[in-house]
Amino acid sequence: MQSKKKVLVVDDDEMHLYTTKELLQNDFIEVITHKNWLGVTNRVRDLQPDLVLLDINMPALSGDKLAAIIKPYCETMKTPIVFHSSNDEDSLRDLAKTHGVQGYICKGNVGDLRSKVNRYLKLQA
Amino acid sequence: MQTVNAQGNVLPVGELIISNEQATPQTVVNKVAERFFSTTDVDAIAVVEDNEPVGLITRTKLLFTLFRRFGFELYGKYPIIAIAETTPLIVPENERLDIVIDKALERQPQDIYDEIIVTTPGGAYKGLLSVKQLVIQQSNSLASNILQKEMASARARELEKINQVKSQFLANVTHELRSPVNAIIGLAELLRMSAEKGSIEQIKERLSFMISSATNLRAIITNILDLSKLEAGKMEVSFLEINATALISEIAETTRILAGKKPVTVKVEAPPLPIMISTDPVKLRQIIMNLASNAAKFTEQGEVTLSLSIIGSRLEIAVADTGIGIKEQDIDKLFIAFGQVEDAKTKQHEGTGLGLTISKNLAELINGSITIRSAYGKGTTFVVSLPLQNNNAGQGEL
Repeated sequence: MQSKKKVLVVDDDEMHLYTTKELLQNDFIEVITHKNWLGVTNRVRDLQPDLVLLDINMPALSGDKLAAIIKPYCETMKTPIVFHSSNDEDSLRDLAKTHGVQGYICKGNVGDLRSKVNRYLKLQA
Repeated sequence: MQTVNAQGNVLPVGELIISNEQATPQTVVNKVAERFFSTTDVDAIAVVEDNEPVGLITRTKLLFTLFRRFGFELYGKYPIIAIAETTPLIVPENERLDIVIDKALERQPQDIYDEIIVTTPGGAYKGLLSVKQLVIQQSNSLASNILQKEMASARARELEKINQVKSQFLANVTHELRSPVNAIIGLAELLRMSAEKGSIEQIKERLSFMISSATNLRAIITNILDLSKLEAGKMEVSFLEINATALISEIAETTRILAGKKPVTVKVEAPPLPIMISTDPVKLRQIIMNLASNAAKFTEQGEVTLSLSIIGSRLEIAVADTGIGIKEQDIDKLFIAFGQVEDAKTKQHEGTGLGLTISKNLAELINGSITIRSAYGKGTTFVVSLPLQNNNAGQGEL
């Protein structure tokens, strides 16, 4: 069996980290959670994830700003960055466009979360 | 035709008439001269026949004519119409100020400052206008127009700002409500998965997460409703005589539970005798509980101290912690709804950032105030100051 795809989830809310992890992880996906903007860059470099899910509303450094910081690393590894937030879909779409990240997923839409993650990881749904 | 000019100035000149001096065309020049000599107030006299203006004589021109060689002898006994300007500028009373000024200034240089005759729309003599007065009036109204414009644009900017704050507030409310709802949806899906697997342990764990998310959601909704009630002035107050020392001790108990396993000591410092105060106990509890739970939340180790002291006719309740403290530049933002941190999109810790706004409003509602002392990295002290006595206090016990 091929090795699992790695998804790094960054969120300040433990409940969201828990649900996202439990909802996504399966035989093909390994979910690594990170509850702070601190150390995300190192985490991305060490882990070499196949996908990064970023929350927007986080203390001190919001996800969109964090995206700008980790983008150069992710681009070299061809790792998509996707916003995952409870914000308005419109504002998420705008943010994703402005920051040149690969996409966005609205929290609370479980089906969308699974299908989009599978698509970014190039896995069969 | 009345159109608004660039300055928006539509003042009719009829309102600016300075005098209605007049003489018949047959009045002799000497008589008119006497009127000019007897007062300095009259600068011009209209020549009026059958109620209609037929000429104008100004002080300057009359004197110029009379004091030239043999002027008095030559003209003194002439009727005034002989030396009066017989084609003076005549405007109807409803003419606009700026148009009249334009007409006045289009005259020959020596006539520019001649008074202007105003008539009714029917042509009857009404009075005289002074060009100098018109120009002063025009520049005053220009200045006030500029001022009005500035005030209007300041108001517009203010409204724009209020709008931005409102939509930011709405965006924050939406996010705060959606976040726990989304957690609940995720947990429901996870529960379904656990049920399919038949894992009772997992179901139990996820149910307790779900309850905590739902409780969090309820707290947020309560806060938002409280805030809107406060802002609409619909929060009711009822004053009772209560034992403040007992209330604070009780809040300290709850704060100990909130601090949990963290190495944080919760202390109460109060005078030996119980302090009685007439206040709204529900509101006071909400204010102090909010401050104390914030203190417990933001203190990783050290102390949270609740203290009571009487200062004159007021009771001061201080909630001091040895937590992270607040940067000076952030203190002003504390009492703003959702103003937890610099960026509205970011949250410092759990919570909506509504608690302090609500506490401040509640304190004002019960005739009190909240002040803050903080040193970043060293801790924060909130002081709630309340009058010991309030009118209409009922009797009650805590």
